[in-house]
Amino acid sequence: MIEFHNVSAGYSRNSRVLEGISFHIDKSEFVFLTGPSGSGKSTLLKLIFHELIPQTGEVTVADFSSNKIKRRKIPYLRRKLGIVFQDFALLENRTAAENVAFALEVTNASRSFIRMRVARVFTQLGLAGKEKCFPQELSAGEQQRVAIARALVGEPFILIADEPTGNLDPAISMDILRLMIEINTLGTAVLLATHDYSLLKGKDDFRRLHLSAGRLVYDGSNGNFAPVPED
Amino acid sequence: MLRTSKEAILGFTRAKAMSFFAILATAFSLLVLGLFSLALLNLNALIRYLENKVEIMAYLRDNADPGLVGLALEDLSKLEGVHQVRYMSKQKALENFRADLGPDSDLLQDLETNPVPASFNITMKPGYRDTLHVKRIADEAQALTFVEEVDYGREWLRWIDIFKHVVSVVGATAGALLGLVGIILISSAIKIAVFSRQKEIFVMKIVGATNSFIRRSFLLEGFLKGAIGGLLAAGMIYTVSEIFSYKIRPVVAFSDRYYLYILLAGALMGLVGSWISLGRYLRRI
Ligand SMILES: Nc1ncnc2c1ncn2[C@@H]1O[C@H](COP(=O)(O)OP(=O)(O)OP(=O)(O)O)[C@@H](O)[C@H]1O
Ligand SMILES: [Mg+2]
Repeated sequence: MIEFHNVSAGYSRNSRVLEGISFHIDKSEFVFLTGPSGSGKSTLLKLIFHELIPQTGEVTVADFSSNKIKRRKIPYLRRKLGIVFQDFALLENRTAAENVAFALEVTNASRSFIRMRVARVFTQLGLAGKEKCFPQELSAGEQQRVAIARALVGEPFILIADEPTGNLDPAISMDILRLMIEINTLGTAVLLATHDYSLLKGKDDFRRLHLSAGRLVYDGSNGNFAPVPED
Repeated sequence: MLRTSKEAILGFTRAKAMSFFAILATAFSLLVLGLFSLALLNLNALIRYLENKVEIMAYLRDNADPGLVGLALEDLSKLEGVHQVRYMSKQKALENFRADLGPDSDLLQDLETNPVPASFNITMKPGYRDTLHVKRIADEAQALTFVEEVDYGREWLRWIDIFKHVVSVVGATAGALLGLVGIILISSAIKIAVFSRQKEIFVMKIVGATNSFIRRSFLLEGFLKGAIGGLLAAGMIYTVSEIFSYKIRPVVAFSDRYYLYILLAGALMGLVGSWISLGRYLRRI
């Protein structure tokens, strides 16, 4: 479903942020992406949603390959992904429901289809009743739920989360993690990038990719790997 | 299309401050340009009005041979720039003179001979009512043996020439400057408006909006803002033009079509401005 084949990437011709990355994420997998600040986690995620194109190697997402995709096809690739950020990226001038519906509006889905999907995802994420609230009227945890709802409303095959708990306190962070695991059990793959190692407590049997200075230094789930918390 | 309009209207009503600035910038630029062209229109009307008074009077000797006069009249009519040559007989000239004098015309009652000469009254075509062309015709007339004297208001014509020149030079310079200022003002307003909605563009991108979808919604918004700016400008220009024509007459007012043009110019400016300032954001994948 997602495959990195010997990928190197950077933000300019003569700089490398990631080097020789290869891995594969299957349907319905749950994967942590860890690594200290600046190790290249966000950069790796950008490669998945093609905000960044590899300098060498190939990134494959569903049927799309970074080596073949035409620029105007990239939006269609993104519609197969659900993307969540640390800062929620909600539009303040829209209600929670409008924010979620927005993701389907850009795809020209019908009004009734959008209404049905939005209602369903609000129920699923425990947001029922919050439809008419504006983001400022919601707690940080609720805002992140709305952002997750927006990511899920298009029924992506994978949820990609970049530091989704970075702005949340520990208890709420655990709620969000539990929610993501629940989403995963319903069949959506999850790739969760974080440097908050407390999230990983008791998750030894989860698969984990660990980046260090732009290299993938660990890919596994045996729990033996315990990086020194650098930050 | 419906979806896009909803985006545009939402973005429109809810990014109030930035919309307001962009609308104001458009309205202001169009207002200044509109008032400026209104002034130019009036100055040109004034010039035309003054030029209409340009006339060459060639006074004929009393002993002129009628046959020759007839031929000369035809020849003069054919010269470049000549609109019309009218022959004014002594009799008619005297009547006109009497009419001009009004109650004092009694003074002419007792005359035994008619002292007023016959004349050719030559008018020029529009575009030829300047010193250069008028003088050429006047010289031609003067060269006729039976023409006693030619008068074409030399000083008058010279002032019109200068006036025309000043209006066209000042008009072109100021027009270009105002246009430039308008473009800068509007494009920066739109740039700010787009910048203030970077987050929205970002969100549109991550949820998989195509560039054409993003562009459509912003262009429609720019179009609407520009049209509103144009409407404001048209309203203000109309008001100013009404006030002036009430106080000073005669004033050439814009026709209805001009107001429509101002509105369309606003819409077009909004459209083009959004297109340009969006381009940069959309090019980054
Ligand atoms: N837009 C950018 N332009 C240039 N360099 C960038 C850009 N974004 C990130 N970098 C650089 O790439 C490297 C990796 O950054 P990245 O954001 O991927 O790290 P990260 O692992 O996500 O860190 P964090 O945990 O702090 O989010 C850093 O050295 C960073 O300075
Ligand atoms: Mg990051």
